[in-house]
Amino acid sequence: MNGVLRFLRSPRLALGVIGFLAVWTGVGAWAPWMQPQGPAAPAWAVATGLSHPFTSLPFLAGIALLFAATLACTWGKRARVVAIRRGEMPGSAVRLLPRKADLDAFLSSEGFRGNGVIRTRFAFALWGGWVFHVGLLVLIAAALVQFSLHDSGTFDLSVSERASLAAHGTVFGRERGPLAREALPDVEVALARFDPFLHQHGYSQDRLSELDVFVPGQPVRTETMDRAAGIRAGDIEIFQAIPTGLSLTIDVQGLGLRAVKLQPESARRASAEVTTPSGTRVRFIVDAQNEIDRPGGEGRMLVWIEGPDGRSLVAPGAPFPFGTGTARMTAVSRWGRFTYTHTPGFALVVGGLVVVLLGSLLLSFPAGVVRVENGGGNRSAVLFVTRGGSAIAADWERVGSPTSRE
Amino acid sequence: MQSILFWSAVSLYALATVAWFAWAATGKASASTAGRALLAFGLVPHAASLAMRWVEVGHGPYNTRYEVISADTFILVAVWLAATLFARGIAGLGVFVAPAAFLLMGWSVSTFDLKREVPIIFKSWWLFLHIGFAKLFFASILLAAACAAAWLVKDRRPQALRKLPSAEKLDLYAHQFTIISFLFLGVMIVAGALWAHQSWGRYWGWDPIETSALVTWIVFGLVLHFRVLHRWTGKRMAWLTFVALGFAVVTLFVVAIMVPTVHNSYMVGG
Repeated sequence: MNGVLRFLRSPRLALGVIGFLAVWTGVGAWAPWMQPQGPAAPAWAVATGLSHPFTSLPFLAGIALLFAATLACTWGKRARVVAIRRGEMPGSAVRLLPRKADLDAFLSSEGFRGNGVIRTRFAFALWGGWVFHVGLLVLIAAALVQFSLHDSGTFDLSVSERASLAAHGTVFGRERGPLAREALPDVEVALARFDPFLHQHGYSQDRLSELDVFVPGQPVRTETMDRAAGIRAGDIEIFQAIPTGLSLTIDVQGLGLRAVKLQPESARRASAEVTTPSGTRVRFIVDAQNEIDRPGGEGRMLVWIEGPDGRSLVAPGAPFPFGTGTARMTAVSRWGRFTYTHTPGFALVVGGLVVVLLGSLLLSFPAGVVRVENGGGNRSAVLFVTRGGSAIAADWERVGSPTSRE
Repeated sequence: MQSILFWSAVSLYALATVAWFAWAATGKASASTAGRALLAFGLVPHAASLAMRWVEVGHGPYNTRYEVISADTFILVAVWLAATLFARGIAGLGVFVAPAAFLLMGWSVSTFDLKREVPIIFKSWWLFLHIGFAKLFFASILLAAACAAAWLVKDRRPQALRKLPSAEKLDLYAHQFTIISFLFLGVMIVAGALWAHQSWGRYWGWDPIETSALVTWIVFGLVLHFRVLHRWTGKRMAWLTFVALGFAVVTLFVVAIMVPTVHNSYMVGG
């Protein structure tokens, strides 16, 4: 047991693990196959786990080892800090040997307060290392919890369309942790208004949506949202995403209104394939006068339907054959993309981050403890500082007294 | 007017560089006093030019290379001046700060005329913490590297830069600035993570700059461990400080210029 503890506490292990994580993270993030539209990962990357670097076994093992090493280093550190605060100096302490100069004045000029045997400088900051390491432990544990429970997904909505996230086919690209709930969020949303190219003062053109949010047991809320921040809907948050495109609203005989979301084929053409109630596949095509994503507008548009019997123009409001029945196009609008996230455990992550930062802040203070000794009328001191011990010893030496390690 | 103020600042930084080099060559106190004063006076037109640009474009200095580098330079000089109030010994670092300020202003000027609106996700208070601490991080690691460079100069030629503090003190200041830059980098990363959570619902996305910042933070952790656990000091630590500076420069500038990332806008014109 002691051997394991010694191994986990060894500085070489700490440096090795930290170094490994730095290299792995750097290589993983910069690898060509990790870039958008990058090539497929080569076989060696698949074999080593670098094809999915941040969920791979080596990375997770490194994190686990970092956690264990940090825990081992932190264990017992509290008692060491308390002992130093009492004046029980570690081996790295520096002895200021007796000399004729005024020791009290010297210590005071170095920032040590008090006039007793034990004097301190930023004593609270002696806890910096301990707090920092505890923060790291909390952060690693919190990130693991959050990763295990997180749930996110994507959905598209056309203007005037109302959709239930729990309904089949609404959400795609879902990602959830191994312990996340299986059920989709019980939330309905309707896109009341959508401007893909709104110019808010001081900011470049971007999306803005007005969403009606329906959460069981809560009154309906209307929320305006851009990409700067999400909105809360029950226990999830909804965010505006960038993708957008043209959308056709079709009134299908006997079925009511349907939104057909078109994907770009070229700068001026978008299309979508749909299945009619009778099971045949047809394709809607929109040809625009201008670029479809031109902020100034698409200009005049022609809408076509293409099926087994060929292609025909669709006029607004006029019925057209749709499978064995008919349908009417009531509007040409746009669809916007949204994401939802459910992030239980995030508060714990924030807590871990705060403690890590608090530890870093404490570390930035040059804390120290000095024990003044009177031996045979000569006054000397034993000094422990978190940094700069040799500089203080050199200063003391400069006024004429030798120094030595305790 | 904005241009006149900017060039006034550049001129004062150039004159400060000359004064500091004169101090390094002759050791005359009057040269260092003049160098310090010129850098301090340079901040006045520099601040005015940044403020005028802020008013003109409607956002702070964090979009396009000119705004970012010019503001980084301002923070560098201001942080150095503030640090000299707490540790008078590092006033001599002006010999590194002045030419760095002059060169950085030179880098920024080629995109002086480029003005862009900021993306909508900049509509967040986290922006100020994230970007503010990025600038403080850059200034503090540059000062750490300046201390390390001064240490190396003194190590090779003990009589050089006589007015600078002892080698032990320079080593201590380098350590102090490295720890402070570690804190500032940490705040930058955390503020960025919370900002990302506000805008996208996730606090971490392995974006190239995010990852590079994390790697840099880990490298800083390594450097500090070498100091604390292995008691590395002197020459080895000086070179390690340069390594840390290298990672910082890659994170803050190189990745944004060379790699597609959500952070590209701040180095537009790069």
